[in-house]
This record gives sequence, C-alpha cells and structure tokens, in this order.
Amino acid sequence: MTAPALEVRGIAKRFGGLIALRDVSFSVRQGEVMGLIGPNGAGKSTLFEIVSGNLAPSSGQVLYFGEDCTSLPVHRRRRAGLCRTFQKVRLFESLTVRENIAVATRQSLPPGGNWQAEVDRVLERLRLGKQAERLPAQITLADRKRVEIGRAIAGHCRVLLLDESLSGLTHDEAEELIVEIMALNRASGITVVVVEHVLSVLAKMVQRLVVLHNATVIADGAPSEVAHDPQVIQAYLGTRQSAFHTRVVPDAGNA
Amino acid sequence: MPTGAAIATQSFAPPRARLRVWPLIPLLLVALLPVLPGVNNYILAVTVRALIFIALGQAWNIVAGIGGLLSLGHGVFLGLGCYVTGILFNDLGVPPWLGVPAGMLVALLVAAVMGGMTLRMRGVFFALATVAVSLACDQLARHYVDLTGGDNGLALTFLGDSLWAMQSRTPAPFVYAGMVFVVAFYGITRCILASRFGLEMRAVRDDEVAAAAAGVRVFRTKLLGFMISAAMTALAGGLYMQYYQAIDPESAFGLGQAIQLQLPALIGGLGTAAGPILGGALMTVLSEATNWGATKLGLVGVDILVYGLVLLLVVLWAPGGIVGMLRRR
Repeated sequence: MTAPALEVRGIAKRFGGLIALRDVSFSVRQGEVMGLIGPNGAGKSTLFEIVSGNLAPSSGQVLYFGEDCTSLPVHRRRRAGLCRTFQKVRLFESLTVRENIAVATRQSLPPGGNWQAEVDRVLERLRLGKQAERLPAQITLADRKRVEIGRAIAGHCRVLLLDESLSGLTHDEAEELIVEIMALNRASGITVVVVEHVLSVLAKMVQRLVVLHNATVIADGAPSEVAHDPQVIQAYLGTRQSAFHTRVVPDAGNA
Repeated sequence: MPTGAAIATQSFAPPRARLRVWPLIPLLLVALLPVLPGVNNYILAVTVRALIFIALGQAWNIVAGIGGLLSLGHGVFLGLGCYVTGILFNDLGVPPWLGVPAGMLVALLVAAVMGGMTLRMRGVFFALATVAVSLACDQLARHYVDLTGGDNGLALTFLGDSLWAMQSRTPAPFVYAGMVFVVAFYGITRCILASRFGLEMRAVRDDEVAAAAAGVRVFRTKLLGFMISAAMTALAGGLYMQYYQAIDPESAFGLGQAIQLQLPALIGGLGTAAGPILGGALMTVLSEATNWGATKLGLVGVDILVYGLVLLLVVLWAPGGIVGMLRRR
C-alpha cells in the first residue's frame, strides 16, 4: 500500500473567535480525482489555502506522499509537485501566455532540463498554441483558466488543486475543460482535487466527494452515495431533495 | 560589438535579437563630442550630467521597473557610494579604483540588511520604510562631522589631472566613463530581462501570491534584485563623486535626489532597457533648455516645475513612458 498523494490529519483553523475548520481529516489516493464541496462558509477556501501553504493551520498536519509538509513554504510545495490554481484567476498580466507558463516550468524542472520544450508541450496540451504570444488580458476567460492550469502543471506536477476552475464558464467551456483535466489525470497520472460549487458538473468528473459543512467533514464517499446522504441534503437544501438536481449559488467570498 | 542585442542570452522574442544600427548613432555622437569642433566644456558637462543621471536611473529601474518595488531610498546607495569613496580617499589615500568597489560592497551589505527588514512589507509600506532609512542616513551624515563633513558635506582633495585619483580638469574623460557605465548598465538590464531571474522578477512584480504558487522564491528574488540595483547605484555614485568632487547629505539622501533617481525610468519607460536612457536624455535637454530660458527671464527653479509637469503628463497619458508610446504605434 503506497502512501496517499495527499492527506490532511486533524486540521483545525481558528481566526480569533471564528472556527473555520474543526478536526478535518481525509486522504486522496494517488491518481484519484476528488471533489471538495460545501456550502458558503463551510471552510473550503481555508482548507485549500492550508493545503497549498498560504495559511498555517492552528493544529493538524498536511501530508504529501506520506511526508509532513505542514510548515513547508508555498514555493517548495510547488517545486515538489503540489500545484494549484486560484478561485479568481491570477495570471502575470504583463507577461505573455508563454512567459506565464515558463515561470513555473523553470522553477520545477531540474537544471539543464529543456524548459522551452516543456513550455511548448504544455501549450499544445492545453490548446494554447495560438495564444502563446498574447497577454492574458487579450484572451477569453476559459483560456485564462487554461493558462493557469498550464502554469500549475508545467514542469513537475503530481497533485493538482483546482479552486473553482469551472465557475464563470459557459456549459460548453466547462465540459471542454473537464475533458482536458480528465485527460491530464489519465495520461500523466496527476492526482486532482477539485473545489467546486456546481455539483452536477462535478459529479461527472470525480470518483469521490468530500463534503464540508460548518467547518467539518460531514460526508466522504462516492458521488452517488454522498448525494443521497441525508446530512448533505440537509446542509445544502434544507429539504430531502437530492443535492445534485440543483445548482448552488456561487460563493463570492473566501469562506 | 557591445550592443544589447548581442548580449541578450535566452530571449523569449528571437526576432528582436537582430542587430539594429540606429542606437549606435547617438553613441557615436557622444563618443565624438570631445573632439568635435565647437563643442565647449558646457556641452560636455551637460553630457556627463545626463550620463550619470541615466546610469542612476538604470540602476533604479532594475528594482522598481523590473521588480516593481518602489524604492524611494535609493539615495542611500548613491550616498554610500559617494561617501565611502570620498572618505577612503581623503582620510586614507585609498584611490577610487579601490574606493568605489568598497562603496559597492558597503551598499550591498546595507541593501541586504535593509531589504531583509523591509521587503516582506507590502507596496506602500516598503516605500515608506525606504524613506525612513534615507532620513536616518541623512541624520547620520550630518551628525558624524569628523567623518562626513556634516551639513557642509565632503569635498575630495583635488590633485588635478590624475588617472590614479580618477580626477580631471576637463569633463571629457568623464564623457567616456559615463558612456561605459550607460552601455554596461544597458547590457546588464537586457541580460536580466532575458534571464530566468528577470522573468521571476517580473512575475513577482505582477503577483506575488501567484509567483509563489508557480514555485518562485519571492523574497529571495526581491532581495537579489534590490541588492543588484543597490550595487549599481553605488557604482554610479562613485562616478558621481569623481565628477562632482563633492557630496553633502541633501544631495545624497534628500527627497529631491530620491525623485531625481526615478525620473529617467518613469519618463522613459519602466522596466525597459532603453527607457532610462531616453528618459534621462530628454529630461536633461528639457531641464537645460528651461534653465537657460529661466535665467534670461530671471526665474529660478523652473526646471523642477518642468520635471513635475512632464511627470504628471506621463502618469496621466503615457504610463508606459516614451518606450510605451513608441511600441504602441
């Protein structure tokens, strides 16, 4: 049994008197596609920032392939292959698409590695070839999200954390992006953790769902099981309707 | 040939790497100035002043233009370059050939400490912190009268024409020294822009959080950029000292100087290699022209007014500076 790609153990986070996370634990198998959902204020964003290294937990541990990385700075996690996107796309706006991806490529490729070829490979893989010399302001939102994913997977990536990468896209754009993300997962064996609000979309991609509510995990299992979990239905809708038959209002703030 | 195009290493835009002839024309013109007929010491002096102004602007451009760190305290490094060179020469007889590198070394150390303390702060707070350091240096320079000459400043012991002491009765040698500085600094800027380090600095300038998420060591990148810029400023400060032969607290650490250091890059184009050269040249010409006109009319300090006006115009209508305007067309 190999170590899980990612494991959070007893994570808690307090902001003053506010408890954002309370004893959150789960693990993600290597190669798995996992969804992390929860209503507004459930603690998804906080958890995401703790895993990617921008926030330190009040207690608990983050393990990356069995090794404790709780106190590892962000750039070291990225270089080790723990990569992320942002809820609101954050690109280097004065750098071209190619340069955006080159920044990350040159960080996580071993010295002497052919970074230019790697940048080309990522551009091709995400169908950004034509946009390569453009500035981020000159491309569509869907492509901006692609660039961000490209920047995340460039060089060395083993676990990809996607923070609402599908939000704001049209149905077709979202479907396309899902296909590409699934292809990354299958072809490169990248483990994917998706934070999303649109549950119906998420159900198609993930093998497992973890549901956060009121700062703690209330369900963890296959999407079909979780969807019929009374607690989840209660948390999302307050009724006994299945959670997947509706869309939840997008979260505007950082819960 | 020492053009930037030949120096650029791994450029992202290969088409730009072809050799262009037109930048060589002003270079040649400046190089021939001392031997051209009808060129007097006034014109040479203005040229040297412009070259020093440009070199200082190029140094500031590294940290502020490429790195996006609004340092208002670069006068500290100019002052260190001047004072260290001057004190070593006057008190210990150390020639500037050693004094200037010593000044650079001191500037590097101060930049490391100053950067270590301030570079984790965000934007405005960093800028304010650099102002505070300038004020502290100003007070120190005024307090230690024996060492620095206090309020009156420090004048180099003048030995006449001497290569050993880097001194000259005419500005002509400084035209060449200034040119070497400007061309070398241009080359350094081009190299940084084309390098991995330059890419990291630009990424950090655009978005620190995203840069860290892309694997960039944000703090280290900023510190390194700050130190390189400080060393370049102190080096140009050495030239400043040898040319002007004197330094005082106001000229080194004053707010006026801090603003002067920023003008070439701001007006020419932040973060570009050619920007400070164009901006510095334009500002010098403007300032001389207005001063000449103002003297005729009996007005004083009009050049400062013109600086302010031009800066305002740039901020309002051409945030990319001269280079930005040229590129847009």
